Amino acid sequence: MTGPGAHLPDIAWAMLNSALGLYRDNPRATGWLRHHRERFEEPLRVAVAGPRGVGKSTLVNALVGEEIAPVGLPGHQAVTWFQDAAEPRATVYPPHGQAGEAPIGRIDAKLQVDLREWRPDQLGQVVIDVPTRALRDLVLIDNPALPTDEDQGEALDRITRQSDAVLYVGRHGDAEDLAVMRAATDNPVSRAAPVNLVLVLARADEIGGGRIDALTSARQIARRYRGDVNVRGACQDVIAIAGLIAQAGRTMRENEFAALAKLSAVDRTVLDDALLSAERFTAAEVPIGLSQPDRHYLFDRLGLFGLRLTTTLLRRGYDSQITLSAQLVQRSGLRDLREAIAQSFVERREVLKARSALLGLDTVLRSDPRPEARKLALDLERALANAHDFRELRLLATLRAGRLKLPEELAEEAHRLIGGQGVSLPARLNLDEAAAGGGELNQAIIAALSRWRRAAENPLLSADQRRAAQIVVRSCEGMISQLHPGMTG
Amino acid sequence: MIAPPPWLDVLDSTIGACASHQRPDLAHRLRQRRARLLDDRLRVLVVGEPNQGKSQLVNALVNAPICAVGDDLTTTAPTVVQHADVPSAALVTDTAGHAPRAIAPGPERVDTTIDEVSKQVAGRAGATHRGAIVRAEIGIPRKLLASGLVLIDTPAVGDPQSAGAARTFAALDQADTVLLATDATAELSTRELDLLVRIVKSCPNVIIALTKIDLSPRWRQVAEANREKLAKASVSARLIGVSAVLRLQAAKTGDQQINAESGFVDLIGCLQREVTGKSEHVAPRAVAVATSTTIAALVTTLRGQLAGTESANSVAATAQLTEAQQQFDALRKRTGRWQTTVADEMADIGADVEHDFRERTRLILREVDRAFDEAEPLTAWEPFGEWLAENLMEAAQANFAWLVERCQWLADRVAAEFPPEDGASVVTLPEWADPETADLDDPRLEPYSVGARAFTGLRGSYGGVLMFGLITSMAGLSLVNPISLAAGVAFAGKTIRDEADGRLKRRQSQAKSTAQRYVDDFFIMCSKESKDLSRKVQRTLRDHITERAEAMQAELNTTATQARETVQSEATRRDRTNLVVRQSLEQLVNLHHKVQELATPRALGGSSGLELTA
Repeated sequence: MTGPGAHLPDIAWAMLNSALGLYRDNPRATGWLRHHRERFEEPLRVAVAGPRGVGKSTLVNALVGEEIAPVGLPGHQAVTWFQDAAEPRATVYPPHGQAGEAPIGRIDAKLQVDLREWRPDQLGQVVIDVPTRALRDLVLIDNPALPTDEDQGEALDRITRQSDAVLYVGRHGDAEDLAVMRAATDNPVSRAAPVNLVLVLARADEIGGGRIDALTSARQIARRYRGDVNVRGACQDVIAIAGLIAQAGRTMRENEFAALAKLSAVDRTVLDDALLSAERFTAAEVPIGLSQPDRHYLFDRLGLFGLRLTTTLLRRGYDSQITLSAQLVQRSGLRDLREAIAQSFVERREVLKARSALLGLDTVLRSDPRPEARKLALDLERALANAHDFRELRLLATLRAGRLKLPEELAEEAHRLIGGQGVSLPARLNLDEAAAGGGELNQAIIAALSRWRRAAENPLLSADQRRAAQIVVRSCEGMISQLHPGMTG
Repeated sequence: MIAPPPWLDVLDSTIGACASHQRPDLAHRLRQRRARLLDDRLRVLVVGEPNQGKSQLVNALVNAPICAVGDDLTTTAPTVVQHADVPSAALVTDTAGHAPRAIAPGPERVDTTIDEVSKQVAGRAGATHRGAIVRAEIGIPRKLLASGLVLIDTPAVGDPQSAGAARTFAALDQADTVLLATDATAELSTRELDLLVRIVKSCPNVIIALTKIDLSPRWRQVAEANREKLAKASVSARLIGVSAVLRLQAAKTGDQQINAESGFVDLIGCLQREVTGKSEHVAPRAVAVATSTTIAALVTTLRGQLAGTESANSVAATAQLTEAQQQFDALRKRTGRWQTTVADEMADIGADVEHDFRERTRLILREVDRAFDEAEPLTAWEPFGEWLAENLMEAAQANFAWLVERCQWLADRVAAEFPPEDGASVVTLPEWADPETADLDDPRLEPYSVGARAFTGLRGSYGGVLMFGLITSMAGLSLVNPISLAAGVAFAGKTIRDEADGRLKRRQSQAKSTAQRYVDDFFIMCSKESKDLSRKVQRTLRDHITERAEAMQAELNTTATQARETVQSEATRRDRTNLVVRQSLEQLVNLHHKVQELATPRALGGSSGLELTA
């Protein structure tokens, strides 16, 4: 969705091209700009970042639907790109030198990459092609754990420049996480076009000591965070997800299912006793009919909570692999995450791409400022300041962070109309996606438009509030032009 | 009566040191600590980051759901759990923020039920209380608590800058032992380590409970990694893995096996040892840390005093002294220079004035000479004497005036350089007074009397008569004949004329020499007068300069003496202070040695690096 008149991706595209003309004589700048022009056409890049041990790779696996991350050598995780392709393939791009392919294949139904031929310092970037529907619209980038020392800023900078949007995986969503998220969005373009970041609490299953209702708790916590002004200012959404459960649901194999089925058939008191603690379950002698390595494997796969959940589900009648997997995925919160990615990232693909392109352009203009480029720099500033998509994003951020309060009856609608709950027309207008016909949409838009025009001129509102209302009005006008593409040039 | 434990001695000495170094604040804190250490109860502060299972840990320790447990931030106020014969609970609220200040009743204690307390602390109930909850107190009958164990559940220490964290750190002072809860599913975070390092500084007895070990099969590796991290941060603490879930399960089923697996047996054993051995194990370490931080604080203050050797006062005095000395030197030079100047000037003046007077008298004498070349002293002497006296007096007066003028000029210069005290003139020069001159003696003038003339004429005529008589006698004339007589008359006339001329000349020269003598006398007398005057002036000026210089010197001397005294007294005072400070430092070092003896080197942890040199 873009505003009427200036079409942001077009502007960004044109600016990239004129910059290419200007910096003809600078091979580095040219290379960089070409790269950004190519990137413009590519699928959206979503980076997964976070500190050590918060479940980044598990989350990536759950999203990709393959138990493949982390990719790398022992003690050295590579920056791994996952993209959709017809055939599995792994390509290694060393920092210097020729790219090469690495063997990839399924061992025991599990996709595995063999990087033993490569030295750790050669693993600059590994691109994994995976046939999966989940990556149709985006490329997922799994990053090594963020360092906790002074290198953190550099790592964050690399991640945010490389990607169009970030899934920040945190443990508690506490002050430490918030500080990192703020740092990640601290560059000129981010300030103009703020949040492109979703906070994921990926170990939701460990909340509440592995109780069976842990996921409900986790969702409540995520909801509380979403309501927290500090958190809302730093990210677009907060999602709780039980990574292990989601991964298990997405990648369950037959033998695992069989083992789980066997487990659920064990006498309940005996099983409960065994599932009291990790050590009990993985002890040498447990009378539940599985070997110790099997039990270790299952525990690593599912965790205590996962084991309790799956056995309970199996006993409740979700006793086929498909229904069990579906239940696990549903309960894990993976769907919430996918929806958040779709809503916050994929639907805003054009804006995010334009944003990345402008960020790239900003880098060039800053690193090699020259008089001829002054106009371009001004254009860039104007685009950042005036593009309606960015204005929408800024207003959204302002409303979310509580820096601007609209009257109660307007607040919710404003948030929705500027795309706070999704940028599709029905999402903006709060109409049922399937049922909404063109006429109904049209009516709704016109009603909203006249309502907000009144608000924009309402003398009872403050100047800031009226400005916000004007942005909503423009969003409504944009919707009309989207509904009737012929009406505006 | 048994002898007091050594730590008590050290603690009391330190309190004494605090008191003698005017640090009642530190002394007060140590006294509080002393009271707490002598108390039989062991206060255990349960701390940790959010969602590490702190409240669950307390619940599992006493086997009762007394502290609110939740998946999100739960505990909002400290909960003190201690022994009571019957279950009881109370909320302590601070109404100060709500009631008018004048009648602020301070903390208010309301008895209530355990359920209510746990709801209130979790912030889940309506605000039935007024004001903020300061703490909740719960008493339950438990064997574990009966021995004197007091458990304090605290709100999570999230952000080290938050108010909650500040409260927890404040509560550290009240704690004998700190029980840090950390989740076994992850290693100690940097922030938790920072927290520990801070905790150890005020409360050295730390037990780390690795909670939720039921969730992680690899908790032993985590524990090992944590121990390494602790060693690296030089934090000495026991680490015990516990599982509240297992403990509560064990309590439900009475299964001793599960209870053992829960790790709580170890933890409780550890806590009980601390309670019973409080005086032997807990107290020495606590005292060691508390006293060494206190001693470090005192030493820092003392060092500060040592360092401040130069006070502003003494710096000013030193500067003053130096300046006075410089002024003194300058004055001496100036005085010497001026004495010379005055002597030279006066010599010049004397020479000039004498020369001038001599010129004037010479002119007069020349005048005299000219006059007496012609004039007949016999007649002219009378008016001449008047003229001479008048002229001489005039010359002397002019000359004197000049002398006075020059002297005045010099005196003015001196006065400008050495201003007289009362603004009076430096020299008082005499007015002109006519000198008492001797009368002008009349020259011994011999008038050419008639007798003398006759005699002279006779003598001349004698020659003429004789000469011409002889000549004429040859012609046969008698000796006396008319010719010879005529010749005698002619000769007599000539002789008389010649004699008169010669006498005039003699009288003139007589008059000249008389005048000359008179003038010389006058000159000598006057020049003596003027010499006397100039000598007197010179002496006066010299005396004036000397006197003024002496006065100024005396002034400078006073300033310098004062400054010197200030500097010296400062130095003495400083030396004395430094001596006292050094002695105090030495005492503190000795005390610190005792502290070190008291504590095992391990117990002091990172804070033992207090290098003391007096």
